[in-house]
Amino acid sequence: MADGQLRKTFPVKSRLRPTPKNSSSSPESKYWRSFKTQQISGLISAITSIDFSPEPPHDFAATYSASVTIYDSQTFEPKAKISDFTDVAYSATYRSDGKLLAAGGESGLVQVFDLKKRIPLRQLRGHSRSVRLVRYARLDKLHLFSGGDDALVKYWDVASETELINFQGHKDYVRCGFASPASSDMFATGSYDHTVRLWDARVSSLSSVLQLNHGKPVEDVIFLPSGGLIATAGGNSVKIWDAIGGGKLVYTMESHNKTVTSLCVGKVRKNGGEQSQQFRLLSVSLDGYMKVFDFSALKLVHSMRYPAPLLSMGFSPDCSARVIGTSNGALFVGKRKKDPSSGDNDISGMDKFLGFGSLEEPESRVLKPTYFRYFQRGQNEKPSEGDYLIKRPAKVKLAEHDKLLKKFRHKEALVSALNGNSPQSVVAVMEELVARKKLLQCVSNLDREELELLLRFLQRYSTMPRYSGFLLALCKKVLQLRADDIMTEDVLKGHIRNLKSSVEEEIRTQQSLQEIQGIISPLLSIAGRR
Amino acid sequence: MITGGKSYVSSVPAFSNDGKKLLLCTGNTVSVFSTSTGMQITELEGHQAPVTSVFVVPISTSASKVLCYCWTSSLDGSICYWDFSVPELMKKVDVQLPIYSMVIPGLLHPQIHSNGKPSDLYAYVSVEDTSKQGDKSKVLRGQIRKCNLSESRLLGGVTLSETQHPEIITISASGEFFGIRNKQRLHVWKLPSKDSEHDVVRKMTLHHTKKLTILAFHPTERILAGGDVTGRILIWRGFGKRIFSANEKQINGRVVKHGEERPGVIGDDDADSCSTWHWHAAEVNALSFSSDGVYLYSGGREGVLVVWQLDTGKKRYLSRIGSPLLYFTYSPDPSLSLISCADNQIHLLEMPSMELSKSISGIKPPCSFPKIYQDSFNGIAFDHTAGLAAIRTENYRIQFYSLFDNREISQVQVCERNHQPGDDVTVFVTLLALSIDGSLMATAEVKLPEEGIGGLVCLKFWASGSQGGEFTLSTVIYEPHSDAAISAIAFHPTQRMAVSSSYGGDFKIWIRNNDQQSNQMLQKSGWRCHSVGTYKKKPITAATFSPDGSILAVAAETVVTLWDPDKNVLVAVVGETLMPIVTLSFVGRSEYLVSVSQGLKPQLSVWSMSKLSISWSYKLHAEAVACMIDASIFAVLVLSNSSEKVTCEESSVPGSNGLILLFNVEDPVPLVTWSVKKAQGGALAFLKVELSLLNEEVTDEKSSQAILAYVNSDHEYVIFDPYNRKDHKITTNHRGNLIPLEEAGRSGYTSIYGELQEFDINGDSTPQITFVPSERPWETIFSGSSHVLPPLTKLCSVFLESLLEKRSAVQD
Repeated sequence: MADGQLRKTFPVKSRLRPTPKNSSSSPESKYWRSFKTQQISGLISAITSIDFSPEPPHDFAATYSASVTIYDSQTFEPKAKISDFTDVAYSATYRSDGKLLAAGGESGLVQVFDLKKRIPLRQLRGHSRSVRLVRYARLDKLHLFSGGDDALVKYWDVASETELINFQGHKDYVRCGFASPASSDMFATGSYDHTVRLWDARVSSLSSVLQLNHGKPVEDVIFLPSGGLIATAGGNSVKIWDAIGGGKLVYTMESHNKTVTSLCVGKVRKNGGEQSQQFRLLSVSLDGYMKVFDFSALKLVHSMRYPAPLLSMGFSPDCSARVIGTSNGALFVGKRKKDPSSGDNDISGMDKFLGFGSLEEPESRVLKPTYFRYFQRGQNEKPSEGDYLIKRPAKVKLAEHDKLLKKFRHKEALVSALNGNSPQSVVAVMEELVARKKLLQCVSNLDREELELLLRFLQRYSTMPRYSGFLLALCKKVLQLRADDIMTEDVLKGHIRNLKSSVEEEIRTQQSLQEIQGIISPLLSIAGRR
Repeated sequence: MITGGKSYVSSVPAFSNDGKKLLLCTGNTVSVFSTSTGMQITELEGHQAPVTSVFVVPISTSASKVLCYCWTSSLDGSICYWDFSVPELMKKVDVQLPIYSMVIPGLLHPQIHSNGKPSDLYAYVSVEDTSKQGDKSKVLRGQIRKCNLSESRLLGGVTLSETQHPEIITISASGEFFGIRNKQRLHVWKLPSKDSEHDVVRKMTLHHTKKLTILAFHPTERILAGGDVTGRILIWRGFGKRIFSANEKQINGRVVKHGEERPGVIGDDDADSCSTWHWHAAEVNALSFSSDGVYLYSGGREGVLVVWQLDTGKKRYLSRIGSPLLYFTYSPDPSLSLISCADNQIHLLEMPSMELSKSISGIKPPCSFPKIYQDSFNGIAFDHTAGLAAIRTENYRIQFYSLFDNREISQVQVCERNHQPGDDVTVFVTLLALSIDGSLMATAEVKLPEEGIGGLVCLKFWASGSQGGEFTLSTVIYEPHSDAAISAIAFHPTQRMAVSSSYGGDFKIWIRNNDQQSNQMLQKSGWRCHSVGTYKKKPITAATFSPDGSILAVAAETVVTLWDPDKNVLVAVVGETLMPIVTLSFVGRSEYLVSVSQGLKPQLSVWSMSKLSISWSYKLHAEAVACMIDASIFAVLVLSNSSEKVTCEESSVPGSNGLILLFNVEDPVPLVTWSVKKAQGGALAFLKVELSLLNEEVTDEKSSQAILAYVNSDHEYVIFDPYNRKDHKITTNHRGNLIPLEEAGRSGYTSIYGELQEFDINGDSTPQITFVPSERPWETIFSGSSHVLPPLTKLCSVFLESLLEKRSAVQD
């Protein structure tokens, strides 16, 4: 009943602060923030394209200037660099088996490279102007399609270096495209004529199967993983279309402030969640924001800011890495620690290659008292379902100032709190001293260095609205009590000058705020009257 | 009628001989508690006035340990002899003078006459001589008298001492000496080895320079300890050698040796030496030697129990008890002792380690606050449905006390602070409100500023947990009305809405929002301000909701105003009184409102809401108002010294200073009046309980609606049915409170770890493991470090005894 009532000490507590109602720590944004971002800079110019290899270990190719660099997705060290370009390279893209890489260029030449030797195996000539779109068809190792600034989309047979189909329909630069995940013969391209066209290589009519009007020059287009939805980016909006349902607009997301430059599909690792709910649409924009959009719930779930205009992004198929390219030659790479619980996909992939996935771990030996581990056994035991848990009483954590307050060493407690760097705890200690009626005595007992500490604290925090009511009254008292000491020391005088100026500044702020209030309140009252 | 809330610490408690029962003086009765469970076992009823002392008849042989006899003395002038195991009154001795203290030295060393018949039993009593009238402090009203218990009469002419007030008599463990304190002196008497009517008890006096508060005798040696008001403890060694040891004929012939060195002894006092220990900062209240005389326990206003090693003066402490200590009592069981605290709580200590094993807590006494915060709220709120009283305590808690069961339910810590008795109070809980269904609580606390810095008013909302009286903090609002103090808090009867009013001139309506987010998120609920209202910038002194919740009545100092709580619109201004209103209350579902104003011109007014005018009023100093929720009846607690009209006819009962008046709103003539004592600071409430719980015949259908509870200024309470006029017989009924005395000694596993949680595993009936009940586990005897253990000779006998008894139990 009253057990434990004795011998209880309470640490001083600062006043509670209101917690924001919709705190950003939803599990979703926690996941997106768990990517540890680091910056790779030193690339010469804007990174226009990033593509991850579809095969493990999921290297990625970043295209910038006249070169393509292959990075390791675990260490983010450059693995290889392809610089056999005569001009600016664009849109380096992997083949589905990750062995070949195709890239376009300013000259209109499309080249296919072997990743091991890094020499061009094939060169596809046909575009008259620069090629900004090169894509392999999904699961088709023989064909690729390209789009150029000559408004043409070409379908190539790579082995013979021949152009199979020349799709005509776009009226402006073709800058983006994506192969359909549902069919190897279908792909979508987006153009600066505001349209996205869906092509079928099996239809020889040379006209598009489907045409979508985005309303702005299309910067990027992707198929969502089901193959039924298409997301397009242009201007500051991202639109989602139903491709199967005849190109109906499903949703328009307009949360970016500047042109959306790139889209990609990311995956959220959820335990026991449905597969379809795991995919998210990621978009980056020139305003420096990366936004994560849940297209099943049609909800923006996370948003993140980077200090540069963003041009391109890629997301590793195993969810472990996220790479964003900027216009000033920096790469923001984010790596996520692989959690062991969700590593099942990788293991199944390993099984295919190595074939001993079913092998069990060696059985643990029976512990004997001669082993050291015998004495540690059971310490990490987790309680099972039916166990009755006896909780150890929570230990009260006492900070140094709490311990000093417990011993009634009030001045030391105040100084120890001032030496720390948490204004809340300083104010909490001061309030506790007020409750003990010892604060002013402490202030009058402070020696010179400690007084300087106190004045520095007051100067920094006494104009903060949360503490000002308490600290300004204390300031007055301190000045009254220690006027003589302050007059004799130049350092202290300097603090007082700073304090004065900060108070004056705060007064100015308050005055201008009052002016604004004076302007607004008649307006509000007029608005309220209607 | 149920009475309760008596103080457990009015006088020194006593243990039974086996240490399993504890006898406490609780008002007119003696309550017997079990030390193992901390619950009340039984009650000894028979005295007509408060019981002042309990003296358990000691048993020398362990075989007869089960015998439970005790003597009690009371202010009604009687001494009773009880068998408290049954419980049964065996004998009553009438002294006819109020007895304040009693010792019976004859019981401590039983004397057998040569013919084998026990001699007469004499008691020494401290009585108040009521024959000496007069208020002058000079009159010596306290007397120490001798009383023959066998022949039940007070011995005439034998007055050992006369003091200004009746004093508490302290007796040594052997029964050889007893003494009292008298201002700056200690009087000690030595009993003759054969006590009879005519033997002279010899007296000696020890002097000190400060006023003494307590004395204690060493159990074996001639050592006497005394505590004084400044916190000093004086140890006189070898007292009374000269006076007591000398034969009568030698007294005159003996020469006092002046050359003898007697350090510390004042004047001609008869002691070898006197040493002073000073640790306590304030007066020493509790002082006791350990049973073997190695340690001295002392406690005082600081709430710290100090253990002094008698030879060296080294100290150990049991700190943070949180309340001034009153008594320290050790039991015959060497591993158990208790401390009584001023907050009506008794802590049982496990001895060598001084660990708190159990607490028996009664209703908390009223706590003292600075005057400015004391006027409007008396510190008690009622949970009408559960019959609980919520009482603020000095250590920043709210105690929930079941009025029907007369026991504590729980305590809620409001401020995370430790109470330090003796310090200036700078933080205190000013207000406390419970919602009608008892599921919500609001508290207001104030921190006093230090020279204008750092004052804080804080409003806290609490939500009840799974059990009654368990509350968790929901919302904290700092400075709800900027820095103005809160004058009243009231809850909406049906919705989750509350109002708080302040002297700063505004009231705020708070609502609780429950946003149930997706189920994996924690349900977030908090109180936020719904609206703010003011009336002509006047201080708002009281606020309440009507029973259906549609109207909020707010008293702006002297004006009664009505508001719509949802839209925050002033509906009507009812009227004005002469003095500021302190309490507003709607009377049931009727259209009437009761207001109470205090001050120079106190007023009790009933306002009609339909006519928006005063209906009738009295010039009464009303202390508390309680309104029935369903009927148009209300009760008022009135201080009668301020109401001339009533005193002339009603105050016939001596000592009563208050009246409870029961009114029907339409009729200014009270239906019933009762006169009560200690009304200042009292509280009234109608509790909604089925009357069948009270064990009374429900005569009227109507009367089963509500019963009235009255709590007086000492937090003693009485619950009665206001309709039943003839209800004067006291039928105390503690629902299921009295635990039958069935003390299967907790043994083996349970004695160490407590009772096992009962698991309910379906289809798995494990055979119950039976423990062999043993009297006392020897693990605890030898626990503790060697220097705190009792001497081995003592332990050995206990140890062997426990072994013996265990074996006999096995044979059973």
